[in-house]
Parts: sequence; structure tokens; C-alpha cells
Amino acid sequence: MAEKPKVIEKPDVLERPDILKPQAPAPLVAFPIEVVVPEGRQQTPAVGQRASRADGRLHGLGQTKYIDDMYFPNMLFAKIKRAGIASARIKNIDTKEAEAMPGVVAVITGRDIPCNSFGPSLKDQPVLADTRVFHAGDGVAAVAAVSEQIATEALEKIKVDYEVLTPVLDPLESLKLETPGVHAPSANIYGHKVIKKGDVEKAFAESDHVFEGTFRTQMVEHVPLEPYACIAQWDANGRVTIYSTLGRITLGRADVARTLGIPMSRIRIVATVVGGNFGGKNEIRAEPAMALLSKKTGRPVKCVFTRSEEFTSSTTRHPLIMDYKTGVTKQGKILGRKIRLVLDGGAYCSWSETTLGKACILSAGPYNIENLYAEAFVVYTNKTMTGAMRGFGAPQVCFAYESHMDDIAKALGIDPLEIRLLNAFDEGSLSPTSQKLHSVVVKESLLRAAKRFGWNGIGDGVGNGNGA
Amino acid sequence: MKRRGRGMACMWYPIGFTVAANPSAAVVKVNEDGTATLLTGTVETGQGSLTILAQITAQELGIATDDVHVVSADTDATPMDTGAIASRTTYVTGNAARMAAEKAKLTLFEVAAPLLGVKPTQLEAQDHKIFVKGFPQRNMHIGDVANHARVVSGQPPIGSASFNPETLALDPETGQGKPFGTYVYATQIAEVDVDDETGEVEVIRVVASHDCGTAINPMLVEGQVEGGVAMGVGFALEEEMLFDAQGRHINPNLTNYIMPTSLDTPDIEVDIVDSYDPTGPFGAKGVGEPTLVPTAAAIANAIYDAVGVRITSLPATAEKVCKALQAKREQQPKQIGTGAALDGAASINTAVQ
Amino acid sequence: MVNVTLRVNGETRSASVPPETTLLRLLRDQFNLTGSKLGCDVGDCGACTVIVDGQPVNSCLMLVGQVEGREVLTIEGLANADHLYPLQKLFEHFGSLQCGFCGPGVIMSAKALLDENPDPSTEEIRDALGGNLCRCTGYTKMIEAIKGASCILRGEEAPLVKSA
Repeated sequence: MAEKPKVIEKPDVLERPDILKPQAPAPLVAFPIEVVVPEGRQQTPAVGQRASRADGRLHGLGQTKYIDDMYFPNMLFAKIKRAGIASARIKNIDTKEAEAMPGVVAVITGRDIPCNSFGPSLKDQPVLADTRVFHAGDGVAAVAAVSEQIATEALEKIKVDYEVLTPVLDPLESLKLETPGVHAPSANIYGHKVIKKGDVEKAFAESDHVFEGTFRTQMVEHVPLEPYACIAQWDANGRVTIYSTLGRITLGRADVARTLGIPMSRIRIVATVVGGNFGGKNEIRAEPAMALLSKKTGRPVKCVFTRSEEFTSSTTRHPLIMDYKTGVTKQGKILGRKIRLVLDGGAYCSWSETTLGKACILSAGPYNIENLYAEAFVVYTNKTMTGAMRGFGAPQVCFAYESHMDDIAKALGIDPLEIRLLNAFDEGSLSPTSQKLHSVVVKESLLRAAKRFGWNGIGDGVGNGNGA
Repeated sequence: MKRRGRGMACMWYPIGFTVAANPSAAVVKVNEDGTATLLTGTVETGQGSLTILAQITAQELGIATDDVHVVSADTDATPMDTGAIASRTTYVTGNAARMAAEKAKLTLFEVAAPLLGVKPTQLEAQDHKIFVKGFPQRNMHIGDVANHARVVSGQPPIGSASFNPETLALDPETGQGKPFGTYVYATQIAEVDVDDETGEVEVIRVVASHDCGTAINPMLVEGQVEGGVAMGVGFALEEEMLFDAQGRHINPNLTNYIMPTSLDTPDIEVDIVDSYDPTGPFGAKGVGEPTLVPTAAAIANAIYDAVGVRITSLPATAEKVCKALQAKREQQPKQIGTGAALDGAASINTAVQ
Repeated sequence: MVNVTLRVNGETRSASVPPETTLLRLLRDQFNLTGSKLGCDVGDCGACTVIVDGQPVNSCLMLVGQVEGREVLTIEGLANADHLYPLQKLFEHFGSLQCGFCGPGVIMSAKALLDENPDPSTEEIRDALGGNLCRCTGYTKMIEAIKGASCILRGEEAPLVKSA
């Protein structure tokens, strides 16, 4: 059982007289000390049990301590100034007025970051933008103050002089060689992948019918209910402890070590409870900046994103533009498929390389296709960076290949279930990369879902769906 | 008028990273009373992965889930882990935890063997007991063995192990190779009502048949699928980050960025497909990400079934569906997708952007 | 600064805070009741739901000036030293919460519903949770748990988790 909460002394009465200590002890928070352990947790064998979660009780009691529920004596609160411009050159950042505000303890900019770049594959992302702004959600300065409100007010006092540049927003524009580079001199196409098998043109020539379709998907945010949060605490041994909403602490520590230029042995990252991830918390965000603010002030520093920052300044799902061309026999057997995917990578690479790879490999669908040509590009645009999100490109390509499949089925007069069963992988099928697949149950899943649903063919597509 | 339609979509999805090494390490310590502690560097972000890892560890040691305490996500205390990403925790971290538990268990077997008068290889652990294979009545409580290990044998039962999925690099020109250790498969079927005047789509019901290998905890698998379907409904119908001509966000808030509420979420029927993957811990693969993969496609196909318009760009908002219906009414006489249009390359997309 | 006195989980509490302080901040920062969560601060997500004079409210939208003398119930006030509140018990049993961040708000909305309507239908439950966003669960197991809790509160037997 968790300890009963204690009253925590609030600091800074001298610096900010309106922040007062709680006037009386906190109300008693009652909870049962001993409660029966749910049955499933006590059964053996353990595997296969509907065991309840170890954290379920604390969640329900409101006693799980997320980062925003943690407080350390003398803690400061940080806020990050956002550019609000999609593409710009930073000519000057004047933080003097903000620094002079009562209650503001420290301000840093990108120039204070020892090595201002990170990323899981390409290190193209700054902790705080220093010379260039690549998307509107870029941070340009961070303020630590005795209260969140003062930190927020201080952001207004930071004066940034920008030379506004024309943003590249359309991924298809970005794909063109003549389009100015978002990260010039680097090219806008920063990832490319090909999966090639058999002879797709020959397959099209031998097909009874060839179908084409273009599909697009949108940019989506993860929306974890807990916004990004971290607390950094630098100690006198030069060691920093960072509590963070990170799904990947091993990578996080490497990124913090690199950006701060300190050994990993001096960094501790703790991510005990994270309030939802879905891929959006798989790389560092403000951790190095908070560590530096803590180092500069000698005090713990907490940063919690606003809901708006969670949208503008964390990663998102890649929008895709997907061209499909498929050759089939009269019976609906797929002979060849050609695919082109363009991924809008946003301002930084983040997890684009992985998304590109998975999208490309999975784009043919769970089908035996001997002749395949799938090509995928990921391009920079001046929009929020796209990164890891539940499915890494798979929901996008699945929308395309399964919509396309139904179009083909409809045109050939074949039931959608039948055409899938005709083409689906079997045990031992070769994937698009010629990997021999094992424990393949796609047909079982089709048949089970159809049975459970009561699938008996579809409607006529003109509004009389026979489910009615 | 509301028109009902149904649509299906199936998918495949890999577990772990694309070729790149994504190892997990784990440490299992058995306490003197036969309970245990698992140290893992992965992070509980809501999926229930720590419960799954406790179940895997408990299974290997022959104890109950509640007997295993999991310490996680602290770079000072826990071994390296690639983390809560790529639907890899059950499969990769789970394999590491199982192997670490197995090593701790082998120490227990070494301690118990002379006490039971057999070789360590003749022992098994189950239901809090270590017993001789084939002779379950010749047994010792795991706590007695663990205590003996510490106070008499001086061999604390601790195991550590790591696991990395077996992959082969892809050929740079053809992309041929073995990018992943294993894959999961699934089908979802959606039933929708589409209002043919307003274009509004309501998802009534989704049946989701998912393969995850062995379901270590069916209740948590259901939770993942139910959450994934809800997220898929948002992807299909509601959610979109919008930008103005200067590249600034128009809707960075939950007032204007619409995501599914309890009122938008359909009845979700979860079906777990029997499957066993010999490369996974106790046959398990994973389930986190794939749960949302086929949802939007199934809904788009159901919309087509209901009102005969193909939505080719997501989200299928009421405005978009309405516009598509209007376009369809205007083009009614030259409707495509009929047999006559099939000679040679035929586009069957009434592109709706 | 304004002085405010109200009842929180059955006890009278006072604080002196800036007038722009919300009830949520008052609970979290002054009274150290961190069960109510800040998910959006503008009344969209419901993670801060508490019960004020019997009604579920977004505590991030209520200013201290509006809570003087009122009776506030938070997630911390549901259980007692002997028992989990039935909703808490069944949310645990059914695995209704995953990341858990929305949980306190959801449970408070459900509590307000069950106080008004001891035997709600699925639709009525969906309606009552309409202001509580959850990204993890698809709401399905929450609805199951709320139905189970309503059985317990009515003195009937609750459908508990089946074991394998």
C-alpha cells in the first residue's frame, strides 16, 4: 500500500508571497489497508489467467503518482516558448526582460544546450531551436520560475526576432526535386525503401483486370490523457535524476547523455508510471532543457506540457498518400501489385525510418503476391514531426489495401470474404520480403470474425446493406 | 434516411523492430519464501505489460501472478530494455523474463535435487512446489527450497537473461530478407449506419478476431483490442490535425480535435484466435498496436456497403461522406465499377478528397 | 488573494489563494489531493471530475469563488478504512483502467450517475461518461464495471471476474 499523503511544504513564500503554505492538514484520505487479492492473481498456472493488474487498485483510488502528482521541496516550474511560425531563421532571442521578472529564476535557449540535436535515427531535432525554426511547435526558450503562472507570463517577455521563411507544407510538393529543402542542404526525401519481388509489369500484362486506386490518410495525435511531463533534479555530484513520461528509458538516457555531453553513469531516468503512450512518448522532449535549468538553479524543475503543446510539440501519425495498382485473374487471384507510398515526415525524422520500413513491408497486405513492387518515400515538411504511433504506418496502408481489395471484389462480383480467403497467407507462405511465415492464422481470423459477426455476404452497395 | 452497411478488413503486423536489434534484458530474484522480483527496463504505459511479465515469470517459476513483484523503468536499477514500443514487450521482454526466471529456477533445482534424491534435470516447478517429474508427491514447497538455497547452500536463486528477435538484413535493392521475428494476424468486421442526407456515420458494432499467440492474460488482450478499436474509430471518422496556410495548427485542443467518447464507441466483441508461436514466451506474440490497424478499413468498407461511396481519404467526416453522396448522385448514370468498365486498366475509385 | 472555506470529503477546509485559482488547483496544490487530474485545463477531457453538491463537475472550470461553502467529494473520499467503494473494486476486477489517468474522473462521473440512477442502462452509462475522455480502453470494461457496481449498490450480487 502507498503511504498516506503528507502535507508538503511549499517553498518560495519570500519570493512569491501569494503562494502560501496549506493552512491546515490535508483531509484524511481513507483507504482499506487490507483488501482481498482478486482471484485471478492468486491462481496457478499463471499464464492464461484473467489476472487483474497490479496497478488497478491504486488507479481506482486516485493514488497512482504520475509525474504531475510529484513534488520536491524548492521545486521550480518550467514553461517553453513556442515559435508559432512554421519556418523561420532566428536572428536574435532577447531573454533579459523575462529574466528580470520577479519569480523567474532562470531562462535558457538552444545555445545553452551542449549538443543541440537528437533523434532515434537521424539526429536532426534540436532540444530548443537555436538558428532555425522548422515547425510552429518548435521551442525557442525555456523559463524556470517559482510558479507555473509566472513561467507562463515570462514567455510573453521573451522577444524573438525572426526572418520568416516560406514553409513547405505539401508532401507531394516536398517530393519534387525543385522544391527548396526544408533542411537544406539536406534533400527533402530523407528516407526511401523498395520491396521488389518477381516481375510486376509482366504480371499486369497477364492479368485479366488491373485496378488502380489512390488513398490518403491524415495527421493524427496520440492524445494520451496524461500530457508530457518531466522533473529534473541535478545534484552536487553532477548527477541528474529525471522523472519522465518516457516509454523508452534506455534510449532516453542515451539522448540525454549526448545532448548534455555527460556520461550515462551520471544520469538516472525513472518512468515508473506513464499515463498513456501510443508511441508519442518514445523519445525525449524537454528533458535536457529541464536538466540544464536544474543545473543552473540548483533546484528541481518540473515541466508539464499544456494540451495544446501535446498537439503542436510532440510527435504525430504520418499522413500517407498511397497509390495502388493491382492485377488480378477473373477469379480474383492477385497476380501482381505495385505500390507507391509518400509519407509526410513533418519537420524532423523521429521514427520515420521505422514507419517507412513497416509501411512498405506491410503495404501489400497479408496476401500471397508473387510479383510485387512497393516503393516508399518519406519527406520533410514544415509541420509537426511525425513519429512512432500505434501501428507505424500499418493502419494507413491497411486502409488502402483493404479498401482496394473491396473495390476489386465488388467489380468482380466476389464476396469480400471469399477474395480474402483466396489470397491470404497460409502457414509457410513467403512474405513480401520472402520471409517464411510461421503461426499464420489470417484465414482463421477471417472465418472466426465472419462467423461471430454473422457474415453472409454484403449488401448491394446502394444503401440496402443486408445487415439492415 | 439511415442506411446500414457492413465491411471487413484483415491485416498482418510484425512484432519488434524492422531488422534493427531491439533487445531486452531481465533479472529475476527468488525471495526466501518463494515469491519473486522481476527487474525490467520496460515501462508500464497503460498496456498492462508489467502484469503480463509477472504472469510469464510466475509461470516459469510455478508460482502465482501475485507472488511476483515487478520493478521497472529506472535506469539505475533495471536492466536495459528497448522499451514500450513496436508491440514487443510480451514477445521480447517476455522471452527475456522467462529465460531469467528459468535460470533462477535451475538454481532452485540444483538446491532441491539432493534433498529430493534426484538429478536437477528430473525436477519441475508447478503450483508453488518443486517436484520430481512423474512423482508429484515427491515435492518441496518452493519457499523451503529458496530458503535452503540462501541459508544452507549459499546459492541465492537469481537469474538474468536477454533476448533479441532473430532477423536478417534486407537487401538494399530488393528489400528481401527477414525483417521480423514473428507476425500477428487479425480481422475486424464493422457494422455502420450512414445517414444518406447528412453523411453522418455511426459505428454500431465491431467484431475483432485477433491473433496474439497464447493470450497470457485474455482480459488484458480484450482491453487492448477494445482500446485499439476505439482509436481506430477516431482515425476513421473524426480525428485530424489541421493546419492553416502558414503551417500553424488550427485545432490544437480537445474542443476542436474530435476523438471518440463513450458515445462514439461501438459495441466491441473481442475474439481471440487460437494460436501458438514456438518462438514466443509460452507461445505468446503480442497485441498492442495491431488492434487499431484494420478498424478504419473495415469502417470505410462498411460505409461503401451502406451507401455505395468509396471514401479514399480519412477521416470520413460527415461533410466528406455527404459530398461523396452528392457526387455519386450527380454521376449516377455513368457509375463505375460495373463489368463494362473492367476492360484493361480501370480506375474504380471515385476519388473523394 | 481570496479566502475560501469549503467541505472536502466531509472535512471543513480553508485556503487563501489568488482569485484565478481553479477548484482543481485548490485540491491538488493546496490540499494535496492529487487524485483529480489535469488533462486539458479547459473542461474537455473530464480527468478532473469531482462531485460538488451532488453534481459531477469539471473542477478545472470552477473558480475558488464558486466553491465557498460547498460540499466537494473527490476520488480520495470514496473508499473508507474497511472497504473499497464498489466502483473502485469492480474497476480493479474488470481491468477497466489501463494507464489510469482518466480513472478518477470516470469513477466520479459514474458515482454521480449511480447516486441519481441506481440501475442505469448501457446507453445511460455511455451518456454519463460522455464528458470523460479515455484513450486506452474503448470504455467497454468501464461500462461493465459500472453495471457490476450498480448491482452491489442495490444490494444484489455483482458479476465478478471469471477465472480461467
